Formats: sequence, structure tokens, C-alpha cells
Amino acid sequence: MLGDSSPAELLIRQAHVLDPASGLDEIMDVRLSSGRIAEVGEGIRGPRELDAVGLHLFPGFVDVHAHWRTPGREDEEDIQSGSAAAAAGGFTGVVMMPNTDPIVDRPVVVSGLVGRVERESRVRTRVSAALHRGLAGERLTEMRLLKQAGAFCVSDDGLGTASAGVLRNGMLYARSAGLPVILHCEDHTLATGVVHDGVAASLAGIPGSPASAEDAATATALVLAAETGARVHITHVSTALSAALVGFFRDRADVTADTTPHHLTLTEDLASTLDGRYRVNPPLRPEHDRAGLGLALRDRVLDFVATDHAPHASEEKELPMEEAAPGFLGHETAFAALHTDLVLGGRLSLTRLVETMSCAPGRWVGTGGSLAVGALADLTLVDLSEEWTVGRGTLVSRSSNSPYIGRTLKGRVVGTMVGGEPVHDRTGAKFGARA
Amino acid sequence: METKGFLTLEHVGREDIRQILDLARAFAEGRLRDALEGKTVCLAFFEASTRTAVSFELAARRSGAHVISLSEKGSAIAKGESLIDTVVTLDRLGADAIVLRHQAAGAAVLAARHTSAPVINAGDGCGQHPTQALLDLYALCEALGGFEGLQDRRVAIVGDVLHSRVARSVIPGFLQAGMEVALVAPRTLLPPDEGALDLSVLTSVDEALEWGADVLYMLRLQKERMTGARIPSVAEYTRFYGVWRRHLESGALVMHPGPVNRGVEISGDVVLSASSLIPDQVAAGVCVRSAVIALTTGAAQRVAA
Repeated sequence: MLGDSSPAELLIRQAHVLDPASGLDEIMDVRLSSGRIAEVGEGIRGPRELDAVGLHLFPGFVDVHAHWRTPGREDEEDIQSGSAAAAAGGFTGVVMMPNTDPIVDRPVVVSGLVGRVERESRVRTRVSAALHRGLAGERLTEMRLLKQAGAFCVSDDGLGTASAGVLRNGMLYARSAGLPVILHCEDHTLATGVVHDGVAASLAGIPGSPASAEDAATATALVLAAETGARVHITHVSTALSAALVGFFRDRADVTADTTPHHLTLTEDLASTLDGRYRVNPPLRPEHDRAGLGLALRDRVLDFVATDHAPHASEEKELPMEEAAPGFLGHETAFAALHTDLVLGGRLSLTRLVETMSCAPGRWVGTGGSLAVGALADLTLVDLSEEWTVGRGTLVSRSSNSPYIGRTLKGRVVGTMVGGEPVHDRTGAKFGARA
Repeated sequence: METKGFLTLEHVGREDIRQILDLARAFAEGRLRDALEGKTVCLAFFEASTRTAVSFELAARRSGAHVISLSEKGSAIAKGESLIDTVVTLDRLGADAIVLRHQAAGAAVLAARHTSAPVINAGDGCGQHPTQALLDLYALCEALGGFEGLQDRRVAIVGDVLHSRVARSVIPGFLQAGMEVALVAPRTLLPPDEGALDLSVLTSVDEALEWGADVLYMLRLQKERMTGARIPSVAEYTRFYGVWRRHLESGALVMHPGPVNRGVEISGDVVLSASSLIPDQVAAGVCVRSAVIALTTGAAQRVAA
């Protein structure tokens, strides 16, 4: 669905081009041709021009962690709505997680999903299959067949970590199959609560899960990654200690790690609202963790940002915390929330933010993340000065469980292109290229 | 007192508490008979309860209110209707107050966001049980010569603070009344960061008495927690965290929100001893809940005017 009226050529004029991958950070013209970056420079002219004065141009964002609820819960999100939400957030590449109904643990499910993604997704979409059948942490999936069917990686995301012995075999086999493993690190014997086991939970009387539930599982996963040599990506790191553990293993294992916009901007205080809308897994942590994650991202201890976009129907969220489903929408607010809190808050440079949203995850999935001549024309145009208030009406996703509803953010994605074709055009006017 | 509903005892000030207790006394003395006439009070009990449900029902009926109870089998609750749908239905049917018992913390706050009728929290998960704390204060005032008699008294809260909604309500209540509060429990039954509560932690009932406790407030040890990883055995728990007749020699009063586990956190001969306020606590429930219903429905203001 990547558009059929593809402009063969387009000139994006006078955008502030920021591409850490190729060292660009100035106002320039960018010419696109046949879906790729053809020329970057000054004073370029073209037959069709897009006036981008006042806008920033980034390599398209890439999100390695999304739940588009397809197959099974298309009332919450499907490939069309999920990819539209991703495009609205400036994402040009996404990895879909396998905890659907049915679970993506058989080759026939993978090939079906890969076919649908090709037809229905606005953005470059990769499919993660399950690491273990039924995500149950017992029997391995047929990883080599899953890969042949089109799986990009394997993960038991959503259900936490299998026992160490099972996980070790999973890593060894995934390495043989040539598949990266995305790990949601959580020890179920410790993670018995629904929010962070801290002050807010104590006062509110909501059962808490201690940080050790994540830290112990992360430590185990890192030790096994070092030993097995598997390519491991640890997703949604939410504590400062887990980030430090990743840093310790940086040169000892083939490991990367991400954290989420919500763990970088929100804290456990929201548990005291007792409101199920703020339930997420891993839970929102204390301020020292939130601050520590920001430092880890800045200092390259953590590699990139992923949103864990997790749509839920209102009847699953408008419940007491203990009974609500965990998860937040992520695609559409990711850049704006991080720009507002971290960049404008002086804690992360805009360059590093783009590196962690575009370049590094782009390298991990193997496409995008660069505006160098010859690269795919996957790009995002952003108005850094626009303020907007997040509301149900502003969201493209089929669900509305964003923790930022009601918050005013600064910086908004204006347009998104995949292979040179517009997949999101918020104003219409800005993207109407002049002939 | 400006409030829509009665959801928590956190942030309820000293003067507001005193006002509720004064109103409760007026109900107890029969000065406000029929104060709730014409009011419809709905009991929505998503979690089983005997004493609280009966207490609320008596509190409403004795003062003239109609009572509709949705706690029985065959009600919408038993059919799995959601919390919000149930309270919205009661609200639109014209309830003047909705008394809610629920298994999850925050249920009362959530319900109150969807109703125009006041919601009275009759216990939500491990969250809050504010009318329990008020009736405890009422019973204690009776025993200690009035509200001012509580000032600077020491109360030790003994047992499973971690899982106790009663503890989360009585702690702020006792503090507002000017009491000193200490917690007595093993670390496995305390919140992870008791520093959040800023209370001292003692290790046995004996130590609480050495500290000078005037009141031993015993919490119920849930059956499912008597075995397992949080305490080694009932015998050891009882030895250090139970109250026995010998403890009464100090003159301390004993309270318990009920139902009691005789022989676990409290010995049978203490329950009905002269030092025990347990029957007084139960008795106080009715007038205190009448007062809370009257305040939240506006009936108290009407009587005052």
C-alpha cells in the first residue's frame, strides 16, 4: 500500500536536514528519485518542489516494538490503523510482536502475516515470530522454517523470560537459525504485582512488582547472551540498574537494548492516581530510574528508543489498576514526548534523539536510518515549534490508551515518506508539492 | 465538609474527622432519627462482606433511608456486569448514595468519576476502608474520654500492614487525631518502603508495650498467608505478633477490625476481655456510617439548617 501515484522525482527545499548517520545538520535541499535519496546540497532545483522552510528533516523513525493486535484483536488495532499511527508518529519502519491470537508461532501464520503486511501496511513492517510455541517458554518454535516464511526475529515478548535453561537453548537455536532474539526481561516469581513496588504503590495499596523482577532477568539474559553468542536485543529497559548491566555486557555479548518514551518521561507517581490507564509492563519506575535511563540513552549505554505501542480497548483500561490491561499507545506521541521532556529539558541533544529513534534502530532492522545519497527515501518532516495537546481526536490509532492524553507537547510530525512516497501528510498543504 | 462521596481517609483533616464523629454521636443518641428519610442508599458489594454490609444497611434503615442491595446472587454483579456499568445504572436509577465494596484498590475513585451520586468506599482491595477507621476513632474516643483524649496516645498497628486496607485508612486517621503510630510486623508483611509512611517499625507485641503503646490495633492475618513464604508458621507468628492475656497487664486497649482469628493474632480470652474495644468498634459502625451517609447525601446539612 505504498501509494501508486508515486512521484518519480521530488525536491524537498530548504529543510533543516539532521542526519547523524551522515553528519548532516544544516538547511539544505534534498532531491528524491525512484524512492531513494538522489542528491543532498544547496541550490538544487527540481520539477516538483516541496517547500520545507521551517521544518526539520530526519531519517524516518524505526520502532522495533509494536503490537498491532493482528490477527485477533482488530477492534483495537489492525495493520492499516497501526501503520497509519506509526506514519503519523514519523515512523517508516516497524517490527510487529507475535503475542496475537493466534500467536505467531507457526510458519503458516508468519507467511500469512507477511503477505498482509505487504498489502496493507503504510510503512516497512517486519514480523517477529515467537521464540517458544505459544509463548509458553517450553518448546522451541520451528525457527528455520519461520525464517523461511519471512520472520525477521523471534521474541516471547509480553510473557517475560523463560527459565534460564530453556532460554539458553532458545538463544543457541536462534543463533543457528540466524535470527535475532528480542527479550522482555521479567522474572515471574518476583513480578507478582501490577505497578512498581515503591512508595506510590505502598500508599495506594496496589500490589507492586520490585525492580529486581526486571534486573534479575536482565542479568540472566545478558550472561546467557555472552555465553551463547546469540544476537540479543533487550527491549523496554525500565531501570537504571538494568541499563548499567547492559553497559557492562556491551563488549562481552552481541547485545543491544532499548527503552521507551514512557519510561523516559513518566514515573511511578501515576500509580497513585489508581487509574488503570497508567498500568504498563514493565511498570513506571521512580524518578531516579527515569533520570538514569535518560543518562544511559545519552551516554550510549542504551542503543535506541522503541515504543511498545500497545493498543487496548477502553473496557480493558477503564478499570481499577489491578484489573486493567497493561500497555500504552506509543507511535504517535514518541517523538513529541521525548522532544518536549528530554531535548527541551536540556537532557538529550536533538541529534542524539534522532540517532536513537532513526539511525540506531534503522541499523538494527537493516533499512533506513540514513539520508545519505543512495539511501532509501524513508524520511520524516517535523515542525519542532508546533505545540499540540494530545487528545482522543488527535490520535490515528484505533485505540486511545495514551498516557499523554491531556498533555501539551511541543514538536509535531508533519509528514512521513516511505520510499519517497507520502504515507502521512498531516496538513495536506505542506505536502502538496509545487509542480 | 465539602465532599462528593467518601473515598479515602487520606487528606481528611482533623476538624473534618471531629465533625463526622460529632454527627455520629448525634445519631447514636437518637437526636437525628429520620434524618435520612426519603434517601435511597444502594449497596453494591462486588466482594463478599457480612459485617460491613449489615452495618451500612442498619445505618441507612435506622435513619429512614430506603436500601437497595446488589450484593446478592443473581444480581447484575453476579452476572459479571462491569463496575462502571453497575454504578452508572444505580446512579441513573436515582440513588442518593452508592456504597461500594470492591476487590481492587482504586475502585471507589473510578466509580466516583462516573456518577453524580456520592460514592462511599466500603473497602477497595488493599486500598482504603475509611468508615472502618472512623468507627475505630469513635470507639477509641468513647474509651479515652473524647477526641482530645487521643492526643499523644501511642497506638501500635500489629500484623499484615502490607495487604491491609484498614491499615491504610487508620494510619492517617490516628495521625490526624494526634496519636503516635508504630508498625509491628515482619518485613514480609510491611510495605517495601515503610519510610514512605515515616513510621517506626517494631518487632513484637512485647516491644510495642515497651515502647509504651496505649492501644494495640491488631490486623487480621488472612488464612492464605498463614502458610507460605511470608511467615514461617502460625506458631511463630502468634508468639511474636499475637496479643495474649499477659499483654493486658500493661493496661493497653486492644482493637481489631474483625473478623478475628482467635488463637492467631489474638487469644480467645482477650477478644471479650475488659481491655478489648472490639465489641465497641462493631457497635460504633452503625452511627458512624449513618453520619457518613448523611454528610455525603446532604442530609446532615439539611438537618443543620
